[in-house]
Amino acid sequence: MSKQKNTQNQSTHDKHHHMQLSTGDKIFNFVNYTVFTLITIACLFPFYYLFINTISDNELVRLGYIQLYPQGIHLQNYVEVMKINGILDALLVSVTRTVLGTVWTVGGSAMLGYLVTKQEMWLRKVWYRLIVITMYFSAGLIPWYMNLRMLGFLDNFWVYVIPGLVSPYNVILVKTFIEALPPSLEESATLDGAGYMRCFANVIIPLITPILATLCIFSAVGQWNSFTDTMMLMPSGKYYTLQFLLYKYQNEASSLAALVRSTQDSSSLANLATKQTALSVRMTVAMVVTFPILLVYPFFQRYFVKGIMIGAVKG
Amino acid sequence: MKKNWPVLLFLAVALAALFLPAVTLHVHSQLGEETAALFPSSLSLADVTFRGSSALPVSQVPAMEAISFGGWMAAGSLLLLAAAAVITLLPGRYSLGLGLGAAIASMCLGGAFASHLANLSSSLYFSMFISTQFSVWVPAVMALGTAVYLLIALLKAEKEAEPDDGASRRFRLLAAAAALAALLMFVLPVYTVHVPAAFTEDPADAAKLNRSVSLFTAAAGSGSMLSTERQEAGYSRLFTGEMAELESFSSEANNIRGIFQIPESSSTASVNISLIVCAALLVLTIVLALIPGVDKWFLAASAVLATITGIASALSLISVSQADMYTGASRQLVYLGLGGITPVPLLMIGFSAASAVFGVLSIRRANAPYFVNPIPKKRQLQVVSCCLALVAVVSILMPSVSMSFYKPGKTQIQSSATVTGMDILKLQAPENVSSPKDKKGAAMYSDEASDGQLTASAVSGAMNGLVRTLGITGWFALGLTAAGCCLVILRKNRKLAITLFLLAFALRIVGWLAVLTGMPKAVGTASCTVFFYVSLPALVFAAFFANFMHEEELPKKYKLFLMMLPFLVAVLLFSYLPLYGWSYAFFNYKFGQPLSDQEFVGFKWFTEMWTNPANRENIVRVLKNTFGMSGLNLLTSWLPMVFAIFLNEVANTRFKKFVQIFTTLPNFISWALVFSFAMCLFAMDTGIWSKFMLGIGAIKEPVVWLNSPDHIWLKMWAWSTWKGLGWGAIMYLAAISGIDQELYEAARVDGANRWHQMRYITLPGLLPTFFVLLMLSISNILNNGMEQYLVFQNPMNKATIEVLDLYVYNITIASRGTTLYAFATAIGILKTLVSVTLLFTANFASKKLRGESIV
Repeated sequence: MSKQKNTQNQSTHDKHHHMQLSTGDKIFNFVNYTVFTLITIACLFPFYYLFINTISDNELVRLGYIQLYPQGIHLQNYVEVMKINGILDALLVSVTRTVLGTVWTVGGSAMLGYLVTKQEMWLRKVWYRLIVITMYFSAGLIPWYMNLRMLGFLDNFWVYVIPGLVSPYNVILVKTFIEALPPSLEESATLDGAGYMRCFANVIIPLITPILATLCIFSAVGQWNSFTDTMMLMPSGKYYTLQFLLYKYQNEASSLAALVRSTQDSSSLANLATKQTALSVRMTVAMVVTFPILLVYPFFQRYFVKGIMIGAVKG
Repeated sequence: MKKNWPVLLFLAVALAALFLPAVTLHVHSQLGEETAALFPSSLSLADVTFRGSSALPVSQVPAMEAISFGGWMAAGSLLLLAAAAVITLLPGRYSLGLGLGAAIASMCLGGAFASHLANLSSSLYFSMFISTQFSVWVPAVMALGTAVYLLIALLKAEKEAEPDDGASRRFRLLAAAAALAALLMFVLPVYTVHVPAAFTEDPADAAKLNRSVSLFTAAAGSGSMLSTERQEAGYSRLFTGEMAELESFSSEANNIRGIFQIPESSSTASVNISLIVCAALLVLTIVLALIPGVDKWFLAASAVLATITGIASALSLISVSQADMYTGASRQLVYLGLGGITPVPLLMIGFSAASAVFGVLSIRRANAPYFVNPIPKKRQLQVVSCCLALVAVVSILMPSVSMSFYKPGKTQIQSSATVTGMDILKLQAPENVSSPKDKKGAAMYSDEASDGQLTASAVSGAMNGLVRTLGITGWFALGLTAAGCCLVILRKNRKLAITLFLLAFALRIVGWLAVLTGMPKAVGTASCTVFFYVSLPALVFAAFFANFMHEEELPKKYKLFLMMLPFLVAVLLFSYLPLYGWSYAFFNYKFGQPLSDQEFVGFKWFTEMWTNPANRENIVRVLKNTFGMSGLNLLTSWLPMVFAIFLNEVANTRFKKFVQIFTTLPNFISWALVFSFAMCLFAMDTGIWSKFMLGIGAIKEPVVWLNSPDHIWLKMWAWSTWKGLGWGAIMYLAAISGIDQELYEAARVDGANRWHQMRYITLPGLLPTFFVLLMLSISNILNNGMEQYLVFQNPMNKATIEVLDLYVYNITIASRGTTLYAFATAIGILKTLVSVTLLFTANFASKKLRGESIV
């Protein structure tokens, strides 16, 4: 509502301006538009640059001829990269952890956010503070690591999912959102004989979907992008994620070269244009990691703007 | 039935997966080129299933035998799945149920096959490595999908059908089938021991040592252990081998030796008993389900009990497998192919649970149309209390204490064992704990004590003292719990019941203290295992529910609290429990050993930071980097605000939206990806930056951009700005939209130009947000994270890029065999304290200056 009103106001205000553009305004506008165009290009160009390098002739890429537009377009890199040992497994792990982790975190935050609004809970304030306070301190890297090790989470897939159950920031967002809802809805459901769980599932959840959508995006992006947890918590090399493989490939040029050699059937027959190089593999993996974000991003953009507004209201 | 076509889809996917690569073999060069050439590098499921040993050089490597042995399971699984598909497509009353049975059986076999292979793949062979692809799991997952689909279809069909006794009977049959499936799990391998042929001179010896252990053999209590002769024969070959690879493992040879002893520990008794009880209950469930006249309530109860004992047996199996006869043995298990426990026990639990569900459903159908809870409402809380008391009793009897022994003066643990409650209740230490069976252990505790060695009598004396305390408290706790349980059942004397439970709890705490302190340091240490800890909350909650045993319902405030409890436990486990790790900072911490075995050094590590010149130098350098880079970011923290103010002045909403969307994009990619970008754009010879600089003549020849240590702070600042600018602006844009538009109108009427409006309306409107964010980033000055610096770090720029977090990581987890864990923890503690202080100072300042708090 308020947003619509704002844009309306904004546009009337703009029209007002167009009518009396001074020279200073013109120059200002010109500079302003130019600067923002440049900034946007700076943000987008790396994506484009990487992309044209993955679809161009690999020999030209190696020699550094591909700078502004693709040449000798082929998709062989993407086909070949899928054949690398472990990539498909890593993709599976990444997708699974993103889906499960998001559902778990968002579900937990929603439930907990609902529970902490219940005034009648025994010692509610104590528990709520106990949760919120964890935002402001951390035990540090080593105790965190040793703790997960002690709990048996090393080399364990569930370390990606289970510890994310309670995230205080999300809980605060959900709580703020629920408190803004009219209490009468839940009351009437209670009068109809619904228990807490039924109220939560049938009354609250449908009402808080906007904030849940926001949390879903943040959590999913976080899960998809995370690689340091794999690095620290998977010492024996199980459950590598795609992001971690990307990181690993960047750092281990020699092992990557060996990998590339092993996927090549016979070097004499391979066409130079589509022959895999360490560089092409790195860039293609990077692109594979980026695509899901690029695909999902435009559709969900509005949700996180909304989410951060809710956050800002609280802050 | 046309409706069931999805089953065919599941089958098609499962069949398609047959031709995907499933197992990859990496043959070690040690076998020689010719032998290596015999092995296919990758096998599809079809290879494993249908070609079997003909395709694989089985005689060379026992692992191949294991693979081809698995073939029949895969083939059986696929045949069963096909049968399920055919049966469900046939018309008829029982087709769905029969198909479901076939699908479940298919899932069991397929799951066992896949976990068998996965287990192999996690083991280390000195001659070859195996890895499994996820396609190994596809048939099992498809069978699972089929089973779930059919179950849903069946429940739907039942819902539409008229309630009659036939439906109830069908569910009873299903309950029997599920119980049978659970029982079948007893024959599947739970873990496999594979000794590489290279270890032994005679392959026949390796074959003798190779075995797979099922729940049945575990329950029988014999199959899981190797006979003594075999052990001896195996050992002599294992450890006199002259293979180069063995050299590197020689220090761990003791650990490998220990593996063969794990199943001999007396703690298997609890596994045996719980497994036998579970199997008996499953048989009972089947019998009850098949006798028509029996009250279905008994059937459901039996299945529920089977599930509970199944869970207990799986847990004790796990704790036994982790009961290291020697430290690190469980890690070594993996090397020898005992790669942990397969999901078979979980499947068993799952099927028992399914049986219970079907049992309940059969009650429900019999009492249609509404589900009637078999427990009367006024009895429910009473029943819950009794169940918890029962859990406490069971957990007192389960493996609950693990003990480790070492030579005085040597911190390396020589031997350890897990002791069950049942052992302890005998009031004397089990024999095999006080006198280890293997030669080395026996020598260690020999009665002719040479210097520094423990005598067997010293060990058993110390042990007996501890065990007696535990035993007496255990007996009393058992008695009190049982008495409390009786009172609750009789619904008599609520307060006495609660007191009894709480007394039992207190006794458990006494036992816990005895465990933590009772073992003389000269002999070793003892610690509690999962079951011990399970008994504590079980008793507390038994008392809690006993308090309401006359009520029909739990008061709302406690109901809500119980709903909250899992979350609180998660917070405690993952946020508060790590604080316990702060104690590492006060010990001479050696990685991988319990804290009780470590040497207490007080504040040594804290003073080390300043008194040790090397450390001081590092810390000063790292702090300089931290403050430098955080400082650069702080100094430019106004950029997003300015970005937002100017973007707000853009009249074209579409352009504005476009800019906003695409400048935010970099925030959503990981630092690993940012580094990929950097690597491509700034590559020395091919990158566009290099080309551009050469083109305009700024440089004469390609220069190392990315890896050079020059201006690294600025570069890092540039990247974090690139990533964060657009995102940071969103917050301000949100704040701008909250500014009252009438202010602008009024200003314009007063003749304010655009600049004035920005300066006097927008900017002041944003300052509060800016202030809050600035305060928060000041308090986070030490926490600049490590991902960014980690990906950009290289040996050349390490000196100037290493921030505090990265330094802590680099000196501990990233470097093997380090002793600096305690030191790093000390740094972490100081860091947290400083951060919290900064935060509260910032908050205080905010309260003083602006009258509102920021946290």
